[in-house]
Amino acid sequence: MIPLLAFVVVGFFGNKFKGGGTAIAVLSAVAAFALSGVVSYAYLTGDLYSTSQPYVASIKWLAFGSYELNFGIYIDSLTCVMMLFSSFISMLIFVYSIGYMGGEGKKKRRYYAEISLFLAGMLGLVLSSNFLEMFIFWEIMGVCSYLLIGFWSYKHPEGDEASMKAASAAKKAFLVTRLGDVCFMAGLFVLLWTFTSLDFTVVFDAANIASAETGMVILGALLLFGGVIGKSAQFPLQDWLPDAMAGPTTVSALIHAATMVKAGVYLIARSYPLFIQNADVMLLVAIIGAVTAFIAATMALNNMNIKRVLAYSTISQLGYMVMALGAGGYLIAMEMQHGVPTAGILATVGFTAGVFHMMNHAFFKALLFMGAGSVIHATGTEDMRKMGGLSKKMRKTSWTMLIGCLSIAGFPLFSGFWSKDMILEATMEPSIAGLAAGDIFLFLFALAAITAFLTAFYMFRMWFMTFHGKPKDESIHCHGESPKSMTIPLIILSIFALGSGFLIFFGLGDIITFNVSGSGAYYFGGDGHTPAHIFDAIVTNIWTYVTMGLALIGILLAYLMYARSLINPARFNANGRSRVYRFLNARYFFPELYDQIALKLGFGVAKGIDYLDKNLIDGTVNGISNAVVGGSGALRKIQTGHVRDYVSLIALGVIAIMAILALLVFSGGI
Amino acid sequence: METGGIEIPFLILLLLIPLIGAVVTAVMSKKPKRAKNVALLFSGITLAVTLMYGYLLSAASTVYSDSESYAWVDTEYLRISFDMGVDGMSILMILLTAALVFIVTIFSRYESDRPNTFFALILAMEVGLMGVYMAQDYFLFYIFWEVTLIPMYFLISGWGGPRRHYAAIKFFIYTHVASLIMLIGIFMMVFEASAGGTLDFTFAAVKEASIAGIFSPVMQTALFGLLFLGFAAKMPIVPFHTWLPDAHVEAPTAGSVLLAAVMLKMGSYGIIRICLDIFPDGAVSWQPALIVIALVSIVYGAYACIAQKDLKKMVAFSSISHMGMVLLGIALLTELGIQFAIFQMFAHGLITSVLFMVCGVAGHNAGTREIPLLGGLAGRMPLFAAFMMFGFLASLGLPGLVGFVAEFGIIFAFFEYLQTTPELLWIIVFALASLLLTAGYYTWAMQRTIFGKETTKIDIEKVHDVSRTEVLALTALCAMIAIFGLMPSLILEVIQTMPLPMGVF
Repeated sequence: MIPLLAFVVVGFFGNKFKGGGTAIAVLSAVAAFALSGVVSYAYLTGDLYSTSQPYVASIKWLAFGSYELNFGIYIDSLTCVMMLFSSFISMLIFVYSIGYMGGEGKKKRRYYAEISLFLAGMLGLVLSSNFLEMFIFWEIMGVCSYLLIGFWSYKHPEGDEASMKAASAAKKAFLVTRLGDVCFMAGLFVLLWTFTSLDFTVVFDAANIASAETGMVILGALLLFGGVIGKSAQFPLQDWLPDAMAGPTTVSALIHAATMVKAGVYLIARSYPLFIQNADVMLLVAIIGAVTAFIAATMALNNMNIKRVLAYSTISQLGYMVMALGAGGYLIAMEMQHGVPTAGILATVGFTAGVFHMMNHAFFKALLFMGAGSVIHATGTEDMRKMGGLSKKMRKTSWTMLIGCLSIAGFPLFSGFWSKDMILEATMEPSIAGLAAGDIFLFLFALAAITAFLTAFYMFRMWFMTFHGKPKDESIHCHGESPKSMTIPLIILSIFALGSGFLIFFGLGDIITFNVSGSGAYYFGGDGHTPAHIFDAIVTNIWTYVTMGLALIGILLAYLMYARSLINPARFNANGRSRVYRFLNARYFFPELYDQIALKLGFGVAKGIDYLDKNLIDGTVNGISNAVVGGSGALRKIQTGHVRDYVSLIALGVIAIMAILALLVFSGGI
Repeated sequence: METGGIEIPFLILLLLIPLIGAVVTAVMSKKPKRAKNVALLFSGITLAVTLMYGYLLSAASTVYSDSESYAWVDTEYLRISFDMGVDGMSILMILLTAALVFIVTIFSRYESDRPNTFFALILAMEVGLMGVYMAQDYFLFYIFWEVTLIPMYFLISGWGGPRRHYAAIKFFIYTHVASLIMLIGIFMMVFEASAGGTLDFTFAAVKEASIAGIFSPVMQTALFGLLFLGFAAKMPIVPFHTWLPDAHVEAPTAGSVLLAAVMLKMGSYGIIRICLDIFPDGAVSWQPALIVIALVSIVYGAYACIAQKDLKKMVAFSSISHMGMVLLGIALLTELGIQFAIFQMFAHGLITSVLFMVCGVAGHNAGTREIPLLGGLAGRMPLFAAFMMFGFLASLGLPGLVGFVAEFGIIFAFFEYLQTTPELLWIIVFALASLLLTAGYYTWAMQRTIFGKETTKIDIEKVHDVSRTEVLALTALCAMIAIFGLMPSLILEVIQTMPLPMGVF
């Protein structure tokens, strides 16, 4: 376990030596991945893993009153999975950046320093041994994303308009996630007060939870979930993520696939022991997840910007993960809280599915973003209406993108298929088990299934519009395939997007759930994740075929509309008057709503206060001084700045003191 | 204190060194360059002695306490002695003062207008500030309190902006009136404590009287109010704050830094040292009012920031908001509240110095501080943009930097306090909302000044980045912000050695 310390140091490596630029950043990412591998291997083959114990090491950071805050490392199998995939994907993104950001000149140094710090933040967060430490890294990532989204906030290659937009998007991302962060921080207060420590080992201790005030635990969990909503772009704070597309595409890949938005989902998975204390909390989590998945998918339907479509799909997929965690947790909570027996094994499905999907999503979303980046790099535009027919010029990009699309659409055997199917199964389970909120979960299942259909449709709409047919705009000149540093990561990722789903048959399910405190297996000791069992469960389940069918119909519809032009997409927005179309394009008017709130509650009140300050308070002060000195004329005379005047003022003060003294002496009778 | 068998009067040295420095610097009107160096030398020596003193104190015992006493007026009727002493809180403030005066002297090397007087005034101010933080006698305390006022007045009126005379006289009258109210309070307190015997101005005597129960609850409430009024205007607390934005906008950068970073802390220092310690009952009766005005200050200051067009005025209002946090911590009357309030005093001192220096750079390197006139400066002033961003992020409480620990601690203390009255728990929302508002005005300001389209409203060719001495000063401050943010226990453990005031339960 010695490499741990070196590992944390390496996380900061790239940042400290930022002058060295590209090579150092890339090497540090490689080193980070290698060390994650070593650490994970050491842990997963060690005694601690086989006895379901996490590895914990920490030092005292701050102690006050009866409270103590530590700084340390906490490793269990969830940590291992998280740090492996995030460092692996980050490494590929770093390599890809060599080609993508090659033309940035002096700004490269800033870019590599920031993404290195970003990766360090994510790894630090994953390894944290307590909530406060997690919060610190969480915020470091927030700042990095602020800087990277605003990377082109001055001197934008596309001109001033774009740089204004980038600056505004960066601010929005920071403020909206900050709203979540304030909730997170309030959650920290609640937990710290309740447990007098924020260490996972203390907070997750079943005995401590049992003796704590239930209301406080629930409040803490809800506030943490507030942080998740902000960071993982859940409804109703989802709106910053599409705007965040103003940054370089590599940054989007980093934020969406490997780091930032996954931090929120990780936080739920990590604090499962708190969340499962109450079934209603879990129900809320599942509902928020499902609603997010659905509305984000609808917003993606008619968007013309290739990166924005991907951004909506990220939000939608994050919704899936959150929903899965909620549904699985609901089962566990019902059993623990009300003693409703659920099949122990099924209860673990939600947790496994959520984390599993997070990993798969990381692979295929990194692939999709980097593919989109490759397209943008070659064509110089993000508008899909101007693309088309690119598959001939960019064979590698188009094939790898196709694999990504199939994966996210849940096409059988691709990675997204397995995890999405598990998620849907988990959502269905409370209804099958006939629990109190079964009907709600049935509805959520329906939403999720429709979302699966929509996902398949909009992803293939994107693929066909970009790569199929003839070039639509002659003014867009395609440079041809991107350099090797960009295509090789694409090919590597497409192998994972194709194959990572099969890992579930090789014990990944066990690794995810086995000793993670709070997951079902931890409580119920389920070890039914044999490959045969899982395969059986999926193949014999009728709903598997329903969702599969929905996905296929989605792909077919996209094919008919955008490849064969049998159905004219323009019909849905005849004369540009369709209300639904406009509603979706305006993102359900969320940006408008935010702007109004910010304007009224922020700027409006501020103006009012400023007016009050200048006129009422300062006016009173000036009024009094005028009255005392005897009119404004006298005041102006004083302001001329003669020392004589000040002396006389001080003398006045001294006389006043004397008078008071005298008064006191006489009245006090000294 | 005694070290290695030799008695070194550190406290008196810390007053004498800057005083001699001020006099020497002042007379060098013919050699302006040398005046700068002499000022640098003396502030450097002061800092070195302070650091040595701090080190010796920490080596000598675990409580950072020391005192020196010199008889002054000692008659049957009146006793005023030159009593000085330090504890965990004072030593921090003294260290902060010495460090900031030194850094400010480095930063202000560009000053070419009568530099000898300018730097002499800064050193003179250091004497006053040191005196306030180490005085153990009410008379002495008041004298030093007033001593700080005069150099600041001349700094503003002599080296300030276009409306400097108005701002200076407003600053002077405002704080002077507040001081007089405080003085009345001090006299009443000492008269009451002496109960017809010798008028004894020492802290010790009054404290003894307070412990003996001489002050009736009504008396305590009244005296707490009088003294608090004097201190609150200094901090400043809404609605006694309007002198501050004017003073800051007109003051030269060095003046602003010292004003915001160390002088405002005199107010909160006084409240902890005197109000809470002598009038525990008064503190309890004032508590609800204090919490309310603290919250008002926090939110009001933050909102006012949003509306400001002048960068420096915005930073000035942010000080009001952050000093409101200090008052909130104090008003809780709990151990955590006081400790983190002191922590916030220290943290805000470091952070706000960076902010005012950044404003100063904007003023003379870009030519204006008006936010609407600026834009896209990061391209031409990358270092300036980096420092500005660092300062702003530190000020909005980014975890890992010193401001976060302070805010986290104070709001947590507030949360803990509110547990006694759970039905009022919701008012913590105001404290939390301020975190959001703070992030809002800072990111908005950054968007409009360093990002976006490069401005065409100022002569962009004349814009130049931060100079070398300014980089040095800013880097030193940023390093401290990061170090104490990552290792807050360095500061907190010093604070924890302070004996808690009587008003704290």
